[in-house]
Amino acid sequence: MFDTAMTELTFGRVWAPLIYLYGVGGIFFLVGMVISTRSKSLNTKTRNGKKWFKLLLFGYGWYLFIHTSLTLAALYLK
Amino acid sequence: MSMTIPWIVMVLYFILVMGFGSMFGRYTKSTADFFFGGRRFAWWLIAMSILATGVGSHSFVKYSAKAFQHGFSSTMTYMNDWFFMPFFMFGWLPLIYYSRVSSVPEYFQRRFNYKARFLATVALFFYMIGYISIGFLTIGKALQPMLPDLLSIFGLQISLIGDTGLMNIIIFVAVITGIYITYGGQTAVIFTDLLQGFILIFAGLLVLFLGFSYLGGFANFWHHLPEHFKLPLAHFNQPGGFNFVGIFWQDGIAGSIGFLFMNQGLIMRFLATRSVEDGKKAAAFNVLVILPISAIVVSGAGWIGHAIYQGQGILPGIPAGIIPPTLDVDEIFTITARIVATPIVFGFIMAAVTAALMSTVDTLINATAAIFINDIWLPAERVLIRRSKGSRLQKDDRYYLKVARWASIVITTVGVLGVLAFKNFATLYEAHGFFHSTLTPPLIVAIFLGIFWRRFTDQAVIWTFLGGATLMIVGATWPEIFITPFAQGSAMSGGKYIYISAMYNIVVCVGVGVIVSLFTKPKTDEELEGLTIWTVERARWRFKGGKPNDRPGEKVKLKYKIDDSGEFARFAKEDMEKMALDEGDLVYLCDSRAWLGGLKSVHSKAGKPHNEPGVVYITPEMEESALFTKKTRVVAEKEL
Repeated sequence: MFDTAMTELTFGRVWAPLIYLYGVGGIFFLVGMVISTRSKSLNTKTRNGKKWFKLLLFGYGWYLFIHTSLTLAALYLK
Repeated sequence: MSMTIPWIVMVLYFILVMGFGSMFGRYTKSTADFFFGGRRFAWWLIAMSILATGVGSHSFVKYSAKAFQHGFSSTMTYMNDWFFMPFFMFGWLPLIYYSRVSSVPEYFQRRFNYKARFLATVALFFYMIGYISIGFLTIGKALQPMLPDLLSIFGLQISLIGDTGLMNIIIFVAVITGIYITYGGQTAVIFTDLLQGFILIFAGLLVLFLGFSYLGGFANFWHHLPEHFKLPLAHFNQPGGFNFVGIFWQDGIAGSIGFLFMNQGLIMRFLATRSVEDGKKAAAFNVLVILPISAIVVSGAGWIGHAIYQGQGILPGIPAGIIPPTLDVDEIFTITARIVATPIVFGFIMAAVTAALMSTVDTLINATAAIFINDIWLPAERVLIRRSKGSRLQKDDRYYLKVARWASIVITTVGVLGVLAFKNFATLYEAHGFFHSTLTPPLIVAIFLGIFWRRFTDQAVIWTFLGGATLMIVGATWPEIFITPFAQGSAMSGGKYIYISAMYNIVVCVGVGVIVSLFTKPKTDEELEGLTIWTVERARWRFKGGKPNDRPGEKVKLKYKIDDSGEFARFAKEDMEKMALDEGDLVYLCDSRAWLGGLKSVHSKAGKPHNEPGVVYITPEMEESALFTKKTRVVAEKEL
């Protein structure tokens, strides 16, 4: 009934999914940013465009922060 | 615990929600209102109404089960959508909004041809009906543990146990579900979801905090969870039934694109926003704020259930065997809520959750009816009109509204029958995962390449559907040969790759699409104007009917007067300067009470200016459409 696979907290168990998520996911995100800016759909020369550009980068950092914090809490919060 | 009090609370809750939804039925005057709520709502209202759709569809039942089994990694599904936000906010959203596309298949007709539209309609229909069926199944599974084995109504004995009982419950729920969607339409759904969005967050957090209290505090909860259970991401590739890499491709990639790009229900929500800018804000707020909260809300009962399971017989006040080892994990949400809450609170929690699931199903039924009208009924009728050479005429909007309502009833019935295809999976999560990884890839690849790759051709999209589907069947038949190279070490479950098959399916569909495109002739840039992200600016021009005005302007608060002679909204020169508004620009007028979220509002073009500052002249039709009254103060702002 419960997850009994590899309960040992090795580097591969703890950090590999995080690196894969933000590495492979990050590639998709980067391609989206490049296409949006090159197509001028996201025009970074306007004030509104700059605001959205920053928000998109913030979102990526925000989720990275959440996942990293939760991982550290799981390891060290006793 | 006696089930009488919870059921009384649930019935009262359902009456309240249905009454609330049907109140908004009077705002539905046309098919545009029925499906899109008149493109009038503020971002915050849409963001909150999306919450009930998202949480309902990803369901307390399903995630609590995985939370109980695997811990905090049950949140993965909710926390991997941001990667596709640039594509959505700056690609798909402005394209569908500005090109006034009503459905995904309609986009396929414009971007490619009618054959592509036909294939997209078929694929989307299967997807939507499947989603509705899974929604009904989830509601049935949530309610069944609360019900007696037999129900006696006017001497009629109705079984509520086993598979027959499950279907009886689902049929009953389907009847209730059909009522306000049929008579209310999209506006009713949006407002019902808004109410339920708030209640859902509250109910989910309530279970969590009552659980902490039941366990004797947060410290007891934390200490009774194993360390690996607290990690936010699952093991990389084990076990076959729940692993990180499989779920990343099935949910993070296929599911995220599917949810954002082909979920007609969600698309219609975004099309109901008053502008693209508000649509972007709703999307960003939803993913940055609402989804992380939702992740906690839907999983909490599973985590609490696990801590109770580990602490039973050890912690004071928790008797051994309160959660048996033989339980069906899909029932853990109901079991945990029943343990930690009083009967009244339990009734409220179950009502909130089942009503949210009903919201999801309602949204999907409404969306599927939109596809039926726009992609089956109307094209078929146009063919008949053409063939009749004038003897058959286009009907008025009231007629289509009636057809839409009948379509909703038929779709609800088909959705109930579709439950039979999913009820034999081990858990709802597996059923949903398999459904997503199998049905979505051809359509998401076709949509994605269509929007972002100009070179993607008409022939290639047909081959993506047909060739991609063929290779997917080949992969599903011989998974060891075809899917194992993509599996990255993840194991099979029940003789098949439930999640990672999504990666294989996406790769073969992209492969077919790219190869065929490279050997066939692409459309010219002129033919693709306003249909890809590279020409989105042209879509804006077309939407407005001229050059967009991007000069920053202010909102102005005005009185309105009726002008019978004109056809546009007319402002004073002074007010137009404040708004940076020119004659012919698109303008949005709404009731000054911001809390209405745009319910009372209307779009127009700016007409010839007048010399009466503080006043806007509107037509009687605009007044009726916007539901303004003589006392209404209006806020006006330039749209484009």
